[in-house]
Amino acid sequence: MQRTAPLAPYALVMPGFLLAAFIVLWPLYQLGVISTSEVNRFGQLRGFAGLENYVAVFTDPDFIGALWRTLIWTFGIVFGALAVSFPVAMILHEDFYGRGVARVIVMLPWAVSITMTAIVWRWALNGESGMLNSGLKNLNIIDTNIQWLAQAATAFPVQIMIGILVTVPFTVTIFLGGLSSISGDLYEAARLEGSSPLQTFRKITFPLMRPFVNIAVVLNTIYVFNSFPIIWATTQGGPANSTDILVTYLYKLGFRFGKLGEASALSLMMFALLLAFTILYVYLASREVRE
Amino acid sequence: MKRFTLGATGLTLALAMTTTLASAQSLRVTVAEYSAKTGPYFEEAAEAFEQANPDADVQIEVVPWDVLLQKLTTDISGGANADLSIIGTRWLIDFVSEGIAAPLDEYMDEDFRGRFFDVFLSPSVMDGQTYGLPVAASARAMYYNKDLLEQAGIDGPPQTWDELAEAAPKISALGDDIAGFGMQGKEIETDVYFYYAFWAYGGDLVEEDGTSGLDTEAGYQAAETYKSLIDAGATQPGVTAYNREDVQNLFKQGKVGMMITAPFLSSQIAEEAPDLDYGVTAIPAGPDGDRGTYGVTDSIIMFENSQNKELAWEFLDFIFTTEWRAKFTEGEGFLPVNPEVAAMPAFADNADLKEFTALLPDARFAPVIAGWEEIAGITSDALQTIYLGEGEIQPTLDAAAAEINEILDQ
Repeated sequence: MQRTAPLAPYALVMPGFLLAAFIVLWPLYQLGVISTSEVNRFGQLRGFAGLENYVAVFTDPDFIGALWRTLIWTFGIVFGALAVSFPVAMILHEDFYGRGVARVIVMLPWAVSITMTAIVWRWALNGESGMLNSGLKNLNIIDTNIQWLAQAATAFPVQIMIGILVTVPFTVTIFLGGLSSISGDLYEAARLEGSSPLQTFRKITFPLMRPFVNIAVVLNTIYVFNSFPIIWATTQGGPANSTDILVTYLYKLGFRFGKLGEASALSLMMFALLLAFTILYVYLASREVRE
Repeated sequence: MKRFTLGATGLTLALAMTTTLASAQSLRVTVAEYSAKTGPYFEEAAEAFEQANPDADVQIEVVPWDVLLQKLTTDISGGANADLSIIGTRWLIDFVSEGIAAPLDEYMDEDFRGRFFDVFLSPSVMDGQTYGLPVAASARAMYYNKDLLEQAGIDGPPQTWDELAEAAPKISALGDDIAGFGMQGKEIETDVYFYYAFWAYGGDLVEEDGTSGLDTEAGYQAAETYKSLIDAGATQPGVTAYNREDVQNLFKQGKVGMMITAPFLSSQIAEEAPDLDYGVTAIPAGPDGDRGTYGVTDSIIMFENSQNKELAWEFLDFIFTTEWRAKFTEGEGFLPVNPEVAAMPAFADNADLKEFTALLPDARFAPVIAGWEEIAGITSDALQTIYLGEGEIQPTLDAAAAEINEILDQ
């Protein structure tokens, strides 16, 4: 009897696994087929192409630029959001008058679709009639209008800032869950021992929050790496591809230029990159925990 | 017992419905959303068509312009495309060479052909076969703000690019938030905004030897003209942050002296800024008197894999009657593609439209090249680099031309 038992877990997991496989593996297989084929403008296969599409992507100078920017974009938003969310979550965890309202305000941007947020920012960043310029002018911070979206030097940092803004609510939610899981006894004990707030943070709060930080880093990296709407709605990756990240470049390649073979190759590479990062991070994080 | 009867009735009803559904011929039509009026117009046309053809069931799919090509690509690759679709005529070559668009000549007679202006029908003709019918047509001309020109002491709109280069800084000098020449530097048609000057200087997008014309004197001169306008502060600042709509908005606000765009700005001004005193004139000429206006048509095509070609054709025949064409053209602010529509008072007596139609003999269309969108993309990128001052004119255009030549070679 004991021997047949292990079948049950697999049987129970099977339906979920099949569904996930259908949703994830089938498109992956399709992408694999398209990326090694000669494909016409409309996605119809026209023969085997080997690795030609992959070589074409690798030798495109715009690809290297977009790859580099994707790293800056992902790193900037994930750690920017982390740096903002941690103190915000700690404040919201404290008991103060109006905490409920404050929590709602922090969470509110989450309820708005990212595309809408990005479009509102596009209006706000308009050089002549944007809210940002007129606000800064009223505060006497600037004299002449800044054309925020005209060049990458101003557009890309602003896009990262919008990215941080929309990532904060989700991250705060994870952290609030984490903070409420830390037992109050620990803090009480620390206070009795005469621990300073900084020591309490370093020795208790932060170590116990590690798993939650790890979750936030992995999930946010996955979302942000593939995040399309902010950049597309504000600059479409322009001017001259200078704010393109891989996913906007992928869209142009596939649906503007009709190079669906190369686009499929690129999306498989992006998938591999993201998978490799996630595995590496989870491995490092779990090793740390064991130590 | 009662319940049983009810059930039986329901079953009969369901059966009856299935049979009517089976006998109805369905027709799917993908249309581009030009404005808020597009969807309702086609729904109305479909309804009227269904009344005349009780067997037909017409489904209209309204798709925003920006994602139209993406939707068509996805639909076609999945074999789930509609029977009819509006496309940009510049994409037609790709549809024809892959055997996706069906030739329409077998359905057309001389009478039907006679409904169109030849200049608009001809871009849809390839290898002697007609693959699309022009559903929307537009040309470009220069809009100018009469008040601003007057204040700057300029009598009459500039006729050449040299005159424009002289007039624009004077208008810009009128105020901090006033720009002489509104320049588009972002998103769709950034390249086209450059062709206006490029053609005036005698350029050809594709030279006779089949290579790109960007790396010619005309290309350098046109880019030089634009770049000096930017450097002289004669355009709005930060041109690479402005797409066509952004520049049009500045014009409507009375902050731009001159800009080049399509007839639909007239209808927008009539609705949103009726007090604006403006005029429409030809795009400035080059040193040799060359003028280039851009003609654009969108075509409606029939898919080769459509199961209901006869019905699809009847629908085309229906929406290309004068009554429906007039309604569409007036609502959207396009140029009439049909002589009968053009002769109607609403169009014949419209001064703005007259300026546009007068330009048509000079009009050039996007060249018929597979991969045109990519060439447009490369050109726009090169121009943005130049406008931003991140690249010298000649080497940047030479590099873009080299890239384009590789596509043209294929």
